[in-house]
Amino acid sequence: MDGTEHRLFEDAVRRAVDAHAGDPAALDGALAELGWADALAVDPRVAISILFERQGAANATSSAIGHVLGAGLGARGAGPTAGEEESASPRGYVLPALGTWDPPGSQGDDSFVVRALGTATSTAPESIVVPTRVADGSVAICTVPRRGLTLVPVHGLDPGLDLVTAHMDADSIGDGSISIGDWPAVVGLARMALGHELVGAAGAMLELARSHALEREQFGRPIAAFQAVRHRLADTLVAVEGARALLDAAWDDGGPDMVATAKAVAGRAARVAARHCQQVLAGMGFTTEHPLHRYVRRVLVLDELFGSARTLTTELGRRLVAGGPLPVPIPL
Amino acid sequence: VDLQEFRAGLDDWLGAHGPELAPVHDGAGTLEQQLAQLAKVKRHTFDAGWMRWGWPEQVGGLGGSTLLRAYLGEALTTADLVEPGIYSMTEVLAPTMIGYAPPPLAAAMVPRLLRGEETWCQGFSEPGTGSNLAALACRAVRDGERWLVSGQKVWTSLAQHAQRCVLLVRTGTPESAHRGVTALFVDMDSPGITVRPIETMHGVPEFCEVFFDDVAVPTERTLGDEGQGWAVAMDLLPFERSTALWHRGAHLQHRLGQLLERAPADSLDPMALGETVQLLAALRARSRATQHRMAAGERLGPETSVDKVLLATAEQQLFDLAEGALAEDVLLGDDPIAARWRSEFLYSRAATIYGGSAEIQRNIIARRLLGLGDDR
Repeated sequence: MDGTEHRLFEDAVRRAVDAHAGDPAALDGALAELGWADALAVDPRVAISILFERQGAANATSSAIGHVLGAGLGARGAGPTAGEEESASPRGYVLPALGTWDPPGSQGDDSFVVRALGTATSTAPESIVVPTRVADGSVAICTVPRRGLTLVPVHGLDPGLDLVTAHMDADSIGDGSISIGDWPAVVGLARMALGHELVGAAGAMLELARSHALEREQFGRPIAAFQAVRHRLADTLVAVEGARALLDAAWDDGGPDMVATAKAVAGRAARVAARHCQQVLAGMGFTTEHPLHRYVRRVLVLDELFGSARTLTTELGRRLVAGGPLPVPIPL
Repeated sequence: VDLQEFRAGLDDWLGAHGPELAPVHDGAGTLEQQLAQLAKVKRHTFDAGWMRWGWPEQVGGLGGSTLLRAYLGEALTTADLVEPGIYSMTEVLAPTMIGYAPPPLAAAMVPRLLRGEETWCQGFSEPGTGSNLAALACRAVRDGERWLVSGQKVWTSLAQHAQRCVLLVRTGTPESAHRGVTALFVDMDSPGITVRPIETMHGVPEFCEVFFDDVAVPTERTLGDEGQGWAVAMDLLPFERSTALWHRGAHLQHRLGQLLERAPADSLDPMALGETVQLLAALRARSRATQHRMAAGERLGPETSVDKVLLATAEQQLFDLAEGALAEDVLLGDDPIAARWRSEFLYSRAATIYGGSAEIQRNIIARRLLGLGDDR
């Protein structure tokens, strides 16, 4: 995309996300209309960074992560389809279980097991894409009928996500179909998407706390004048900017280590933002009348998807302690 | 010359000239040994051309992107050829001269700094003026074609070895705050200057007190105009947080590798280690973006305070990790390698103090980047 196209695309995505922040199905429709999936195929960096950062900032949800799965697997079609594919029946998708990045399905000699997380929208179609570890260790794209899965709606910490757990314990894949996919690529793209969404949400929390600090007066002056408040917000900005820079570097670098680091640092930055901004917003931010709580809930869930800050950090440390090489620093 | 070409050429050259560039001392060495090593490396790299890239031709440079300077410092520090702190002072002092000195003065002086013929220092802080630079009191009064300087500076790095000093003085009234400050380029052998090195906790007497007693400085040694010293200082400070900081980040990355090699089995907590690696990666990613902005001609400003906070945090976390894992070295070891870990661990305590304290950086971020208004 050139500069003008980039700007137009960014504006269109922003408008779509902001207009349909509370309505995932409507946002899916708007993204299909503006050709987001086509942009993903042409320029994943631009498509993912713009949409997910905005989605995080607006506390919106969509099925876009399904397209990201599809793009990583080298197959369009997970998630709602767009354009000429519209006539084909749309396929849903599921993600790895909370905290993990193993493919959600696993196939043994005489078993097919699914432990997955989805959303109400992502599991609505009659066919569901389940990335599956097959007997030889490779990862296949299985498509299973919806009726084969046990879907249980989750209220949980973040009801706004409309999460669903998806289980299946069967002897075989049955009516499902299989093709081979590149799972590490899926994990990488999903982590980038989630990293951007976390950073977007962290930035939104910072803006909520910042405007509150400027308006709220105590002892005859805005609380933004108190250094204890200022330094919390400054630390939040440092965390967010560090994460943002790493996401950029990870797009440039492309290696799995840098991507995992970017996701972990984004998760940690979002937790830093949640802690500091909640404190600055104080009683206001503790009520459901103020939007902060929705972001706090969201980032805690997003951090756990495809590996949390804690898990990815410990995994990296363990590998180094065991004598593994340091990740190669990004060149100047 | 583009960065790829420069990198390949420099790496080859460093490989071929390893023995003549290597330090003669083991470990960190004394300050005198570090300075002698620095002068040697600067002379060789200047004569071979490497040190001249990225600097304008009118001060003896060969032109080209500032990224070349960033890579040269990275290569020299990760090969353990220079101590990054004293190496990177050039990155602050030379741009100040290029920006504000009368062109003939810059043309005469900057090559001496780049080639390692001279050491320069930077006289900013005073006993009564730490973070609040606008309160500085060291006075200069006009006496015909010269300034007469009286007062005191402190924390002046390398003053005892320096031939020149970029000095901030008050030329306005005591109440003139930042408006009455002027920058001068002072010869350190001028009559009336007394330097007293300060013993520091990490064992390197790099900081000094400098006393000025009616020191005469020709008016053609004024940097910028009279009363423009604040602008000189404000332009200089972001340089402390750009190329110099890239060099330091590269040094920390290098030391992290050495820590992993030296740490005994089971001495490193995986979570703390992983986080340190990630912090250094975030610092490098951020500083890399800053290097590219600078190379594109963008004016650096308060956003570089983010880089400094990331650096100080990463540096202290790295050496906290080292102190725990290498307790034997840091607490008891007296060989050069152990002494270097001890010295650098102690020096890392100052990472949140020098070059604008952690609190000042956060104040800058709050006021200038977050728009939180004044803190009064």
